[in-house]
Amino acid sequence: MIAALAHTHAPIATLIELSTPKGAEWEFLVVFATLLLGPVIVQRARIPGIIGLLLGGYVIGPHGLGVIGAGNNTLPDLGQLGLLYLMFVAGVELDLNLLRRHRRSAIVFGLLTFAFPMILGTTVGLGLGWETEAAILLGSLLTSHTLITYPTVRAAGLTSDPAVATAVGSTVLTDTLALVVLAGVAGSVGGGRSGIEVAAQIAVGLIVLVVYSLLVLPLLAGWAFRRLGTERSVRYVVAITAFLSAATVAELFGIEGIVGAFFAGLALNRLVPNEGQLMDRIGFFGGAVFIPVFLVSVGLILNPAVMARGETLELAGLFIVACLGGKVLAAALSARLLQFSRAQAGLLFSLSSAQAAATLAATVIGFQLGLFDSAVVNAVLVVILVSVLASTIVGARASDRLPAHDQGPQPLGTRVVVGVGDPATAGSALSIGVRMARADGGVVHPVLVLPDTAPIAPRALRERFGQVISAAGADGLPLTIVDRSVLHGALRAAAAHEATLVLIPELAEAGSSEDGRPAGAGPAMNTDTDTADMVDTVDMVDTVDTVDTVDTVDTADTAASPAPHAPPIALVRGDETLWVDAPADSR
Amino acid sequence: MSGARLLRQTIPGATLLVLGALLSACGGGKLGAAAGTFTPRTPGTLTVATAQIPDPGFWQGTFQHPTGGFEYELARALASRFGLARVRVIDVPFRQLTAGHLHGADLALSDITVTSERARYVAFSTSYLRAPPAILVRPGTEVPDVHSAQRLSWAVESGTTLLQALEESIEPSSTPLILDHQREVLHALRSGRAQAIMLDLPVALAYARESPHAYAVAAQLSSEAVLAAALPLGSSNVEAVDSAIRAFGADGTLERLGHAWLHTDLQEGQSENVPVLRTAE
Repeated sequence: MIAALAHTHAPIATLIELSTPKGAEWEFLVVFATLLLGPVIVQRARIPGIIGLLLGGYVIGPHGLGVIGAGNNTLPDLGQLGLLYLMFVAGVELDLNLLRRHRRSAIVFGLLTFAFPMILGTTVGLGLGWETEAAILLGSLLTSHTLITYPTVRAAGLTSDPAVATAVGSTVLTDTLALVVLAGVAGSVGGGRSGIEVAAQIAVGLIVLVVYSLLVLPLLAGWAFRRLGTERSVRYVVAITAFLSAATVAELFGIEGIVGAFFAGLALNRLVPNEGQLMDRIGFFGGAVFIPVFLVSVGLILNPAVMARGETLELAGLFIVACLGGKVLAAALSARLLQFSRAQAGLLFSLSSAQAAATLAATVIGFQLGLFDSAVVNAVLVVILVSVLASTIVGARASDRLPAHDQGPQPLGTRVVVGVGDPATAGSALSIGVRMARADGGVVHPVLVLPDTAPIAPRALRERFGQVISAAGADGLPLTIVDRSVLHGALRAAAAHEATLVLIPELAEAGSSEDGRPAGAGPAMNTDTDTADMVDTVDMVDTVDTVDTVDTVDTADTAASPAPHAPPIALVRGDETLWVDAPADSR
Repeated sequence: MSGARLLRQTIPGATLLVLGALLSACGGGKLGAAAGTFTPRTPGTLTVATAQIPDPGFWQGTFQHPTGGFEYELARALASRFGLARVRVIDVPFRQLTAGHLHGADLALSDITVTSERARYVAFSTSYLRAPPAILVRPGTEVPDVHSAQRLSWAVESGTTLLQALEESIEPSSTPLILDHQREVLHALRSGRAQAIMLDLPVALAYARESPHAYAVAAQLSSEAVLAAALPLGSSNVEAVDSAIRAFGADGTLERLGHAWLHTDLQEGQSENVPVLRTAE
């Protein structure tokens, strides 16, 4: 064959027929290559990865190389799913406890950081002669913020600073208000109905959406997690189904789906703890695929020729004045009202000024509704870039001027380790742990402790443990460890997880001493006298039936344990909870 | 610091910023509307070019007196959004439209499929309808698979994306008749000179609905083809037309027009009632 080829002198290339790459495989390859390379390339120039994804979308889109044509539906459809996903994640990862604990300051700052950009943005729109709906939408999209500088602040040890807690807590309020305005604007566009009809429809829609999202959805999702959620993939699909259902309910009333997705995120906030496995999975797929695909799909609209036009840059300048001016005013006024220092005011501004996810989402909706043209979209992209840079610079300077705080007291239910020796006895402890963790937005880490004399944990035992965990609705990382007692094993796991509480079911046969000291360690472990030596005091404080009142235990005292690896221990006997002081050997 | 004092100190600054924003925004009056500005060539009139009237489903009546159709109603909706009182329709051959010769029209609405080649000569708007190629046959002719399609005798209009679709997706075993006008292609089918012809799906559906005894839509090809308005290259009206078409998609206007004139909704995808022919493409 080779000889024959050589004889004919025909170049091999002429014998191989290559076709032009096309079709779904080619398009997906291009998109995923963009997801891979876009952020990597721009991050080398110290530009945020989000910009690389947007630019990547431009490069492969109709204004660039045209690999993804104007008639392509696949990427925009995936981008739409990514948009819903983005808003769901924005809702589900919010720290509602911060809002609860810093309610007053968060509400004050949330209202101000919503109101000033709203007024200024709307003023700019009206001044430009825009339609009222477009002007209001412009105002609302400048109000929301994304906590882009939070990692910087966290790295500086400032997460417990009141200003940081205030800004983080206010995010719930500003994003919700911004989305409610978006719902109103989107509902009022077209249709030729009277203002009263539109307002009534949106009001009813929002009521139905709130009832569905905040009352019905948590019940359905909780049931699905318990009954269907033994498989990790099923739990993930339940979460996806939940936000898509809320988005659909919103759409039924003419409200944008992203509002429903955000509300679904808020609804599942307690069921999906930030440190849990499900959140990890949601964050993984969101961060790896869905949200980047949305950003790339936005990049399809990006047109550097439009962005570089004087008209676009003028618009961007006005938007920046309205957005950052409003955020500066809100931060300064809030700092005075709440008696924060100048550096803390800088933190307020830094955390509330970065425009990204919610802004982009609202802008895309405005574009899809025909309220904005591509000049506005490109101007908003400039605003996003400038606001991210401004918030980063101000955040770094403000962080330098403030002393680092300790983590501070964490709520008792932040990270609950439940150690058991026998899955059959784990139900009560897990249930208590889950309820306490939910109240504090925390997570339960179930630990199956086997005696060091036992063989490798039988598969059936681990499977049964998984079923019990699922039935209780725990979402932490299940662990099987070998140790000399359940208590020792649980404490080891507690140290690894930096637990704030350890729960251990007490052995019926081991019982406890008359003064309440635990004498046993677990059914599989038999009595362990070391355990008794490790525990100082035991006080029964509550029962499972009224476990809600456990939350009233002085968490400041329990959280003030001398070391993070010495969490309080609760012993569960049947439906009783026995409170135990920190173990002696961990002090 | 008392609340009243604080407010007294803050209000002037905030007012100043609001006024500054308002003044600077007003100073940028040339920036125009948020959704783009449309400037017609003839004041108060939207001039639309199209290649064929009547064009079942898309244009009804005559050039002088158009009476309805998807694209005619779309033109009227555009005029209404832009505050123009009148729609004037002019007759321009399809090849000239796609070559960028709009003969003074503001835009062309004429079943024009978006292609990169045509985009060199005209500026396309956002698409308003999906238009995959479809196979129109006489009732009774079955096209269950691509091999059956290859054995048919074909006719297709020259200078269209349909010719390319026929050659690349079907690859007929005999040379197709390539004709200059859509009406000649239809005549070839009716007269029996061709057993099948290729048309845009919404057009094919409209013909089959208008003359069910003469035509039937046998299949459609999987395609991303879309119809869009064509504007003169470099027109400053593209943004306004784009925003208008997006708004018509969002508020249900396009869906309503599709149901009213084409009896189908082709905005989101292919018609569910017409089987998709699986090809190697």
